[in-house]
Amino acid sequence: MKTLILGEILNETLSSGTLEIIKKAQDENLDFQVITIGSSDAPKIGSESFKQTYIKRSSESLQFGNVTDLITKIVNDEGINLILGSSTYLCRDLISFISVDLNSSPVSNVIDFEINGDAVSTINSINGGESLYKSKIASNHSLLLVRPKSFEPADVELNDNFETIDVENSDVAIFDIYKEEKTGPQLEDSKVVISAGRGMVDKENLVIVEELASKLNAAIGGTRAIVDAGWMPYSQQVGQTGKTVKPDVYIACGISGATQHQVGMKDSKFIIAINKDEEAPIFQLADLGIVGDTLSVIPKINQNL
Amino acid sequence: MNITVCAKQIPDPANETSYDNGIIVRPEEQVLDDTDRYGIEVALQLKEKFDAEVTIISMGPAGTMKGLQQALQMGADKALYVDDDSLKGANSLMTANVLSELAKTTNADIVIFGTESTDGYSGTVPQQVSRFLNLNCISYVKAIEIGDDVSLTRQTSEGSEKVKMPQNCVISVTAGGVEPRYPNFKDIMAAKSKPIEKVELSTLNITTEQNLEFMSIEALENSKNGEKITDEGEAFQIIVDKLKELKVI
Repeated sequence: MKTLILGEILNETLSSGTLEIIKKAQDENLDFQVITIGSSDAPKIGSESFKQTYIKRSSESLQFGNVTDLITKIVNDEGINLILGSSTYLCRDLISFISVDLNSSPVSNVIDFEINGDAVSTINSINGGESLYKSKIASNHSLLLVRPKSFEPADVELNDNFETIDVENSDVAIFDIYKEEKTGPQLEDSKVVISAGRGMVDKENLVIVEELASKLNAAIGGTRAIVDAGWMPYSQQVGQTGKTVKPDVYIACGISGATQHQVGMKDSKFIIAINKDEEAPIFQLADLGIVGDTLSVIPKINQNL
Repeated sequence: MNITVCAKQIPDPANETSYDNGIIVRPEEQVLDDTDRYGIEVALQLKEKFDAEVTIISMGPAGTMKGLQQALQMGADKALYVDDDSLKGANSLMTANVLSELAKTTNADIVIFGTESTDGYSGTVPQQVSRFLNLNCISYVKAIEIGDDVSLTRQTSEGSEKVKMPQNCVISVTAGGVEPRYPNFKDIMAAKSKPIEKVELSTLNITTEQNLEFMSIEALENSKNGEKITDEGEAFQIIVDKLKELKVI
């Protein structure tokens, strides 16, 4: 099946989400090419083993309509049937736009898919990962948004051999570009993640989580509730609408375990949960559950490390 | 200025979502998706500055219309909805098709959404509507500054960026982007006399169709039956020991 993978750039190379989809495409023996969208000057995204086209956009113009036109044209010209992208801000936008052009509804939150002849079937995780939802796509084009961490990343050697297409500016200019400083361990690849929820009671109390994180060299995450409350930036949200993490150890502090949160962390290897409410759903996922006040337990851990 | 906000009535999220043949079961009484409150708030802030009319548009079983009432209570002026059996289980593209056509009937300058609904989570409808309407899409807006111009701050994977709000566009607002207002008693009473109008699907130009066939839902056994210990002051030691055992420290 002729396949297009929409790629993204992180740190001048292909993002882990892109490499995960490439791995799946290799394993399924799909006839795939990659179109990567980004604004880096000289990224390392080419490969001996697949065709790479770089759509180079300006970081100072909102060009996504023009980017979409280019991709739709390639899809039509080359008879591509399957389009895959990671569930990121950029790919969610692009696959949505393309779905209108191709008149085929995309499938979001895909965690796995199968190809049988011309048919594509998808698996989604619903109800916080408690159930799997399977469906079959019955149109000429299948558009899938794949959740990060659904597959292992491909191990490919990348070079700077690829074709570059420039994009025309739109009439919407972008200004005040702010790059969040990424210091310390990052959620996506840290071996230990500590997350905070409403049970932390107040934003000020996050200092004890930060102290523990620095002692364990851990990344810090949060639930949608505390991100909505403004305690943490959106980039630290773990869950359905945030990031998916699979660390060796996940410590849930004052998190009840809403399905929205579970979906982002349930595959962590070892889960420690601390919560006052002994009925909290998080305890069903926990390998070690402590029924108690996070605000009293964590400072004692900090003192004893 | 005409501002149109898409809002969805969803089953009370406090209850677990149930499915019938792959389609979410919707009770008679559904509530306003909290995600949409952010979009409505942005619309109301624009209205305060620019003398706009704010119309809510919605698709899905109308039921008791509690969710639509909640949207009007916040301060929207009127609501239009489509409720048609043939749309049961509609995919995101059909939903976007219907909402785009509804938005056209409101002569919308600006169409505002939350980023994704709390029941379906597909997170693609705002972008699809923008493409149907051939408008710029300002997605994942996490802050708005209203002066003579309006500037919108977009969340990106690397941080954020700002754009000046175009005269015509589609905006999706992330949860937490603004502080949604709570209606007072007067607002709640005033909402009762605001118009809610049903639009017949047959009057809209629908060019999309279902392309996703439901196959199955399979329950997973998630429960780990892990250790559960009640803290009597010493539980920290159990965690410290476990972290040592796991070689984290």
